[in-house]
Amino acid sequence: MAGEYRVDTLAVPETLNLLHDLLDRVREENPDVESTDLMLFETAVIEIANNVVEHGVPPGTIRYTFVLDVESDRLLGRLSDGGPPLHEHERSMPGTDSENGRGLALARVALDDLGYERVGDHNEWTMVRRRR
Amino acid sequence: MMQVHTSTIGDATVLRCDGRLTMVAAPTLRSAIDEAVSGGQVRLVVDLAGTSFVDSSGLGALVAGLKRARQAGGDLRIASAQEQVRMVLNLTNLDRILEPFDSVGDAVHGW
Repeated sequence: MAGEYRVDTLAVPETLNLLHDLLDRVREENPDVESTDLMLFETAVIEIANNVVEHGVPPGTIRYTFVLDVESDRLLGRLSDGGPPLHEHERSMPGTDSENGRGLALARVALDDLGYERVGDHNEWTMVRRRR
Repeated sequence: MMQVHTSTIGDATVLRCDGRLTMVAAPTLRSAIDEAVSGGQVRLVVDLAGTSFVDSSGLGALVAGLKRARQAGGDLRIASAQEQVRMVLNLTNLDRILEPFDSVGDAVHGW
């Protein structure tokens, strides 16, 4: 395993940059990872975090932890948040005229596998992108 | 923080988005588009040369802008999209309605 990367923060729009910064660091420290893989992985992580920010109640009080492992054959992300349970995590891609509702569908197509589970009072997301 | 810079080329209004077009920045682009269309500028080009990253909120702002411009009798075109933006447009099928032009010059050509 090349290394572990972690963000533990409050789910508010202002902290989303921490995830972008983390992915920038992964990019710098792992030049052997294809840029497309990291780009799509970053796209997915941000959509999951957006979802936590949008649905966290009361707003601004929910925390989440994101951990990324760079493995020899895949990027593995795990995000755990204390927000309410999610009922529509398998939504399909909306039509082209829709102004919203693409987040989780985009995360799903950017990854090879997106898992969601409610564990106790937390949501547990697992994101896998196989390295090309 | 993303900045939107507005300029004009002929009849077209060019909105240049520098930075990440995400949940935090999408309202800024929506406001800039609303302002342009309210002011009678309905031929819009969103210049994405400096947009390093877009998320679903940013895409929503582009779709809203396209609808707004078309309802006013105009159109919205995007130009100079970088790799992540192109991939995301493709994955969401939005490249069918928001065809990326290679440059702002190409986008305004023929308008």
